[in-house]
Amino acid sequence: MSETTEPDARTAAAATDSDRAVLRTDGVTKRFGGLTAVDDVDVEVQKGEIVGLIGPNGAGKSTLFNCITGTLSADEGRVYLQGQDVTDWPEYKIARAGLGRMFQETRIFGDMTVRKNLLLAAQEGGANVGSLLRRPDDTLIERTEELLDYVDLGGLAETRAGRLSFGQQKLIEFAMELMAEPDLLLMDEPAGGINPSMLENLIEYIRTANEDEEATIFLIEHNMDFVMEIADRIYVLAHGERIAEGTPEEIQNDQRVLNAYLGRE
Amino acid sequence: MSTSESEDSTGLLRTVLPPNQVDRVFDFCGENGWKLLALGAVVGALPPLLGLEQGYYMTVVSEMYLFAILALSWDLVGGQTGYPSFGNMAFFGLGAYVTAILVKDFAVAFPVALIAAGLLALLFAALIGAVVLRLRGHYFAIATLGVLLAAQQISRNLDITGGASGKILLQVPSGTVFYYLFFGVLIAEMALIYYLSNTRFGFILNAIRDDEEKATAMGFNTTYYKTAAWMLAALFTGVAGGTYSLFNTFIDPQTAYNGAWNVELIAMALLGGSGTVAGPVIGAFGLHTLIEFVETAFVGWQLVLLGGAVIVTVIGFPEGVVGTLREYASEMAYYERGGMAAVDSGEDTEVTADE
Ligand SMILES: Nc1ncnc2c1ncn2[C@@H]1O[C@H](COP(=O)(O)OP(=O)(O)OP(=O)(O)O)[C@@H](O)[C@H]1O
Ligand SMILES: [Mg+2]
Repeated sequence: MSETTEPDARTAAAATDSDRAVLRTDGVTKRFGGLTAVDDVDVEVQKGEIVGLIGPNGAGKSTLFNCITGTLSADEGRVYLQGQDVTDWPEYKIARAGLGRMFQETRIFGDMTVRKNLLLAAQEGGANVGSLLRRPDDTLIERTEELLDYVDLGGLAETRAGRLSFGQQKLIEFAMELMAEPDLLLMDEPAGGINPSMLENLIEYIRTANEDEEATIFLIEHNMDFVMEIADRIYVLAHGERIAEGTPEEIQNDQRVLNAYLGRE
Repeated sequence: MSTSESEDSTGLLRTVLPPNQVDRVFDFCGENGWKLLALGAVVGALPPLLGLEQGYYMTVVSEMYLFAILALSWDLVGGQTGYPSFGNMAFFGLGAYVTAILVKDFAVAFPVALIAAGLLALLFAALIGAVVLRLRGHYFAIATLGVLLAAQQISRNLDITGGASGKILLQVPSGTVFYYLFFGVLIAEMALIYYLSNTRFGFILNAIRDDEEKATAMGFNTTYYKTAAWMLAALFTGVAGGTYSLFNTFIDPQTAYNGAWNVELIAMALLGGSGTVAGPVIGAFGLHTLIEFVETAFVGWQLVLLGGAVIVTVIGFPEGVVGTLREYASEMAYYERGGMAAVDSGEDTEVTADE
């Protein structure tokens, strides 16, 4: 939606724009021993956007996510959420500040029922002790029903989540995020391992979350058709460095991207 | 846990005890948990009123309640939260000594001493929890065992604890008082844990067990919740220890920090089914009765029996009695409730999806 962000034009207007960014990283660098997995990366995600992050395997995409969420601490650089410097915050506190995250390898609580997974995800009342010590109220339980019906898993509420198939677990993880209503949702390969017939549904779900639930979305994806269709803007990483940024059309025609990435496929 | 490979032997079982019927029993228990607990409270309160006299049987039943408290407390952290402790008897011993010392040396009233014992155990848990709960898996288990051994050594060396010869307590309440005390604490603990298991606090504990990193990524400061569960477990274990010291009229480092009990209470939770409220209690009742029987019938063999029971459980029923039954009951439910529609590769998917 915001075509105003030109990385090279750091005018006053762009600066106020940065302050309104839901997410901004400033020179984030992460090294593992001799390997620089993320190298001086700046990204910016504006409210309401769906931004893609692509790059070959091992480019550092998941590592960048980990630095944003606080799972890993960046060696250099800063991370800002809604204008606030969260670089040194513990991971749980960053999540509480409105950041949702779906993992590349899909993580749900396997020995708990599907319903409990969803109820736990609700951020309403936060970590407030009083609300944690009350039984979840009916509106919350109705919301779980609603969301399960929405992702076509109605009827599985009392099933142990670990019994579900991989694709179903992915949908549960997504429904958990809808339950949490984050301001910014980081999705690490949402389409990975999903049945091709489900892809259209997934696009629909993500769009709805973006439009109706007002979640800003930053997603990593290998499936090019998918990411080109859904993203407003795309960042490209290769060997830890950000090599391009632009609209899907720009990225598809960018020579550096073609060389580093699309050309290899 | 593959159920499909024992098709033949379960065939008969399925006819005698169909999974959906077991499922119905679970649903019934789930919907009527409080009523069942109230019923249990009434039934357990009756025997002394109906003429159960002080003596061997009352002692055995009281000990059954004691072990149920210990197993349930262990399970709150070991089963519900996924941090298997090998040091729970440290809280027990601490509670036992605090009560014994207060009652004998400071002439404090027993109930007051008991409350002090529980609170001190809770405080102790908060302090060491901050250190040991950072560790996971084997490291956590070893660290908690270290705490237990250290506590035992300290009680051996101090004067106030009576050193290696311990403390003898002669002026104690009657057996009936202890019966109701153990029973009351057990019912209170079951009610509390049952209540918590239906709140989001309880869900967080289970989430920590299933995937602590995911729980953190969802915004939960897991240290905080783990420590809370650990303190709660210590509170009940400490009160149980305090009650036991007077019940037993004698306490020394060996009985207060009993190594065999330390294993027994874990075995009870696992046998009955960890991660549930009923499981550890059923396990404690069952195993303690068995141990008591073996102890009288084949003197000196109870540890062998215990070891055997643990091995059989871990291999045959890793989920314990309650867990195995629940798994059996829910086997069909997944398909009946529409799970099949989305599973493409046939019957094995539910088994492989487990891990
Ligand atoms: N914890 C770690 N320790 C050491 N090296 C790591 C660690 N995590 C990632 N790496 C390395 O950092 C590089 C970037 O990894 P990362 O997982 O971020 O890539 P990615 O872009 O997400 O790749 P993929 O598309 O395969 O998921 C890789 O070379 C990887 O081996
Ligand atoms: Mg990755």
